[in-house]
Amino acid sequence: MKIFSESHKTVFVVDHCPYMAESCRQHVEFDMLVKNRTQGIIPLAPISKSLWTCSVESSMEYCRIMYDIFPFKKLVNFIVSDSGAHVLNSWTQEDQNLQELMAALAAVGPPNPRADPECCSILHGLVAAVETLCKITEYQHEARTLLMENAERVGNRGRIICITNAKSDSHVRMLEDCVQETIHEHNKLAANSDQIVSILIYLKCFQFCLKEEQHANTSANYDVELLHHKDAHVDFLKSGDSHLGGSNREGPFKETITLKWCTPRTNNIELHYCTGAYRISPVDVNSRPSSCLTNFLLNGRSVLLEQPRKSGSKVISHMLSSHGGEIFLHVLSSSRSILEDPPSISEGCGGRVTDYRITDFGEFMRENRLTPFLDPRYKIDGSLEIPLERAKDQLEKHTRYWPMIISQTTIFNMQAVVPLASVIVKESLTEEDVLNCQKTIYNLVDMERKNDPLPISTVGTRGKGPKRDEQYRIMWNELETLVRAHINNSEKHQRVLECLMACRSKPPEEEERKKRGRKREDKEDKSEKAVKDYEQEKSWQDSERLKGILEHGKEELAEAEIIKDSPDSPEPPNKKPLVELEETPQVEKSKGPVSLLSLWCNRINTANSRKHQEFAGRLNSVNNRAELYQHLKEENGFVMETTENGKASRQ
Amino acid sequence: MPTVVVMDVSLSMTRPVSVEGSEEYQRKHLAAHGLTMLFEHMATNYKLEFTALVVFSSLWELMVPFTRDYNTLQEALSNMDDYDKTCLESALVGVCNIVQQEWGGAIPCQVVLVTDGCLGIGRGSLRHSLATHSQRSESNRFPLPFPFPSKLYIMCMANLEELQSTDSLECLERLIDLNNGEGQIFTIDGPLCLKNVQSMFGKLIDLAYTPFHAVLKCGHLTADVQVFPRPEPFVVDEEIDPIPKVINTDLEIVGFIDIADISSPPVLSRHLVLPIALNKEGDEVGTGITDDNEDENSANQIAGKIPNFCVLLHGSLKVEGMVAIVQLGSEWHGMLYSQADSKKKSNLMMSLFEPGPEPLPWLGRMAQLGPISDAKENPYGEDDNKSPFPLQPKNKRSYAQNVTVWIKPSGLQVTSPSRFRNAGLPVFQELNRLRKAALAFGFLDLLKGVADMLERECTLLPDTAHPDAAFQLTHAAQQLKLASTGTSDYAAYDHNITPLHTDFSGSSTDRM
Repeated sequence: MKIFSESHKTVFVVDHCPYMAESCRQHVEFDMLVKNRTQGIIPLAPISKSLWTCSVESSMEYCRIMYDIFPFKKLVNFIVSDSGAHVLNSWTQEDQNLQELMAALAAVGPPNPRADPECCSILHGLVAAVETLCKITEYQHEARTLLMENAERVGNRGRIICITNAKSDSHVRMLEDCVQETIHEHNKLAANSDQIVSILIYLKCFQFCLKEEQHANTSANYDVELLHHKDAHVDFLKSGDSHLGGSNREGPFKETITLKWCTPRTNNIELHYCTGAYRISPVDVNSRPSSCLTNFLLNGRSVLLEQPRKSGSKVISHMLSSHGGEIFLHVLSSSRSILEDPPSISEGCGGRVTDYRITDFGEFMRENRLTPFLDPRYKIDGSLEIPLERAKDQLEKHTRYWPMIISQTTIFNMQAVVPLASVIVKESLTEEDVLNCQKTIYNLVDMERKNDPLPISTVGTRGKGPKRDEQYRIMWNELETLVRAHINNSEKHQRVLECLMACRSKPPEEEERKKRGRKREDKEDKSEKAVKDYEQEKSWQDSERLKGILEHGKEELAEAEIIKDSPDSPEPPNKKPLVELEETPQVEKSKGPVSLLSLWCNRINTANSRKHQEFAGRLNSVNNRAELYQHLKEENGFVMETTENGKASRQ
Repeated sequence: MPTVVVMDVSLSMTRPVSVEGSEEYQRKHLAAHGLTMLFEHMATNYKLEFTALVVFSSLWELMVPFTRDYNTLQEALSNMDDYDKTCLESALVGVCNIVQQEWGGAIPCQVVLVTDGCLGIGRGSLRHSLATHSQRSESNRFPLPFPFPSKLYIMCMANLEELQSTDSLECLERLIDLNNGEGQIFTIDGPLCLKNVQSMFGKLIDLAYTPFHAVLKCGHLTADVQVFPRPEPFVVDEEIDPIPKVINTDLEIVGFIDIADISSPPVLSRHLVLPIALNKEGDEVGTGITDDNEDENSANQIAGKIPNFCVLLHGSLKVEGMVAIVQLGSEWHGMLYSQADSKKKSNLMMSLFEPGPEPLPWLGRMAQLGPISDAKENPYGEDDNKSPFPLQPKNKRSYAQNVTVWIKPSGLQVTSPSRFRNAGLPVFQELNRLRKAALAFGFLDLLKGVADMLERECTLLPDTAHPDAAFQLTHAAQQLKLASTGTSDYAAYDHNITPLHTDFSGSSTDRM
């Protein structure tokens, strides 16, 4: 309930009676021209401020400091009292600034010394002050709305600062009694009204809850006194060090702590451990040292401050820094860290892996940076759109398929895929995007035709790694996984997939059969994480697996014939479209999911297979029946390579 | 959160405990047994916690300063002698000193007080301390509440009935109250035996020393992590009904911001984010941190070789100089960043912002932060050369807007001198500023004075002066005089004095 303490609402009541037009009898020298000019010129007579000018200046200075340090939730209402009360502003946040108040004060002008003193009274202002305290502020309204039927629990406290001329103590008591009575009457009224609220406490004397800080350079002439919230020194005061730097200079409300500007410069890309940040205001805002310091800070530089300790040592305890034209005093932690000597991240989980896609993820982070959207935006259904939710949505889309390490991916290591990969994650595609995606795919087809090498990882494999056409098959599979992860985004995404499916090469059926076991694993491994909570993706994966199973049956029939094809022999040029025509419709067919048991068995089998070299016969078997003397038709070592690859892809 | 174990080694702790048919135990043995269990738990599940061991009777002694070496703590437990009477207050003063010297006054600490509920006799006894509590001066302040954020856990080597038979329980409850209610009293359920002591310490472990496990998420990229130290519930005291806020076990990344833009924000606390490997039951297998244990070692080595999102994230945050903004709960956010301990070692760290819709004024409301792709043009620029941060406040602060303050005479002098002339010509911008302030403060005499001053300037102009100077000075003086009457249109606040149009040259406008 801190926010509705009495400091939430402050009413200034300033006397505007004829008496206030009198001089304060303190002369001000304003003619400083004479100093370095020709002699013989008599300086102009000094002038003096009126009581009114003094009152207004000091109350405006109060407002200046408060608006600097507490720009929100601490509100001021300004009332001028003569033959009536003039309320100069309201509690609304828009009215809470110096310019508005200055303009309103100028309109009131100085008191007229010739007015009839009998008509004027400060009581008009005090009564108006009580009335205005009864009006709820935006913040109170918000809190009351939140609380619904418990609205009366929102406190309504405030304080009245009255600047007037009282003849005697009894006069002051009379004013107090009057205010008490008015509050009493208004509370009775408020009990029956929703618009005004009762006042809980009336404070006779206000408390200046600020502390003052002196911030010294080596030369005492350049001290800059700053005001800020006292919490900035909480640690210091508790530590018992305060008798050193602190001093009660001007009564109980003003305490000073001296901090020294220290030389180590800090740059803004350093992240300090900061436990608090409080707005500041210079005591002497116009003085040269003050404006020097504030301009230095407003230009984007920071100043570290150090504090003397009991032991005589010094420690960097604070930092002055500006953010968007506001200067903050940052409290830096200066005690021992409880997190010292932590285990390095390289010693922990995943710490031994060396081929993380650090640069790619850096790019990803830059694409997913945040920016403020100050104007409300609406969704198609008219509901308010929350930008932060949009940010989360985008992260979800961008990570549907995102392999963490280089050896886990082919397509993200290929410059040629970038145009597609960068746009496919978008919520919606333009015609141009689709065109670019298609171009990318054609380009890949072209690469395949030219037999360009692919950046397939050979980590963990013996020998040269997979053969070229096998590389392309892996690449196409991965690209398909990426595109499929986004087909539900829009119809245009669907078109990209259609293009991909139409263009991607299909290896000869025989090869398909031989490598099916591994291929399935490949896919599961890679997309497992991405799929975990992305339900839509499931359906296509299932259909993919089923496709395999169906084909399996079909192949068994055609086995004898197909097996004669050598995997390395070039395909007949017109075979490709033919295969596509046959196969594409099958993808659409929906089939049942793979059981958990078979998934598990697959895993166990592959784990076991790592421990020994599998019989070539079993590997090539169909329904545990192997064709003998296959090697006559195939190249030596082919089978072995397959197992090795299976291993590599899981690491 | 460092821990101080405060162990009672007064004679009463040597009172025997009747255990059927086995060797004789004393209460201190039960206490040592319980603490051993606590230390073993910390050594495996909470190994980054700093713990100190203090023993006390009528005097107190720091047996083991703050350490993560639980073997040392364990050894110290077995090397404890028996001393005289219980004097709790001086021991608590000792704890204050130890903690403040080591950690200062801002870091929360847990104090585990192990005693048998015999609170001493005469001067220095807890009864005596409490009876004189209201007559303390600043110099002999009672050590509670501790001058740092704290929890006081009192482990009684006694059961409830025993404590209730005297006023011991009352006195101990008073202690917790004095610590602003921060803490708890544990007593042994049933007869005093090893098993029941274990279950009592088990409750303490559950309450205060269970590691905080969470899932770090960035879209579909996830990692199981332990957050150390445990994030404690936070009470927002600006709320009407303060309910302690607890952070989610799903730590969801919402986006990224450059370190320069977030610029050393104030935070409530900092935590290490350690990736962990969980087995199927969800039990922690290891943090991958190498250990003496051989089995664990091999498990850790395997975990070390499985790609982990934390490592990827950490690496990229470090290279790019960015932080990840993470959602901790409703209207509660924090940031993840790479923190370097030394040149070689660095870590993924999480800092918690204060809960609320707008924890950092220079970022604006958190809910209003969205993806850059939604903006019409990239707010960071095509070449990454600008930034949408920091946000500018609606009103400029006084030090950024050239305000006029004349409270001290020096303020007035700074305003007045040669500022109003430049090469003999009046500077209208300065004059207008002065005019506005004088009108607002009702300081009309100042306007007259400055007008006189300008007129005198006119008479002192050298022959070489610009021909326009005399005209403009006279014009300005006239305008100020009109304003000083406070009645004419010229006294309107919004009126500005503009230079006189003359046909000598247009150069005077340059002076504006």
